[in-house]
Amino acid sequence: MFERFTNEARQTVTLAQENSRRLKHPAIGTEHLLLGLLDQQETVSAQILGRHGLDRERADRAVVRLVPHAPKDALDADALETIGIDLAAIREKVEAVFGPGSLDRPPRRDHRGGLFSGRHIPFSKEAKKSLELSLREALALKHRYIGDGHILLGLLREGEGLASRVIADAGIDAATLRQEIVAELGTRRTPG
Amino acid sequence: MSDTAQLASDAGSRDPAVGLRAVRALRTLVDRLEALQVENARDQNWSWQEIAHCLEVSRQAVHKKYAGGRGLLRRER
Repeated sequence: MFERFTNEARQTVTLAQENSRRLKHPAIGTEHLLLGLLDQQETVSAQILGRHGLDRERADRAVVRLVPHAPKDALDADALETIGIDLAAIREKVEAVFGPGSLDRPPRRDHRGGLFSGRHIPFSKEAKKSLELSLREALALKHRYIGDGHILLGLLREGEGLASRVIADAGIDAATLRQEIVAELGTRRTPG
Repeated sequence: MSDTAQLASDAGSRDPAVGLRAVRALRTLVDRLEALQVENARDQNWSWQEIAHCLEVSRQAVHKKYAGGRGLLRRER
């Protein structure tokens, strides 16, 4: 579904992944997509959010506050230490090969029942839904591309992820924000 | 050694609660390592048979665990 994504939209997804990794979260959620948008200060979405007082720093603080710090799937380092196993040493070696956090995410099953390692960070249900909705927002506006603005519309439409919560907590009215994004995107069918 | 671990050691390794918790922690660690290594082997085009041989389990066991059960037409090597 990423074929029609603009560079900014693709970058948003990449940055969302980086944010999730940096915060040591188990999945890529809507809040990380929001941070991915705000990481790119020049984008339509970041500009509009900025006008309403929500910038990168503020969003980051809100996310850190809302998301529980200790992941529930944490490995039991203390228990391993009682039998002489140094989890930190193991983690260092594993991460050197498979990347940061690869040992900290539990394996998960895909829809076919196959088991996958924690190497790749999965998208949360809400984040997936938001990205699908960004495509639908673009289609509804008769745009032939999906830009960062459509992702923000998707996040607002999804409505149940932490991104919506962060936006609402910043005192921003979702309906007003929607109107402004749509107005800003205009009627051009191609990005620009 | 962290305080908790030190305390557990001092309390005696014969305490089943401590010992069993360590076993569980180790099993979780092994499961994650195995998933990473099996995925890595598949990425490098290893067959299920080769992976099973290294892990000293049956091909069926490793296939069932990692490839999932459904789909008769799934690619198998």
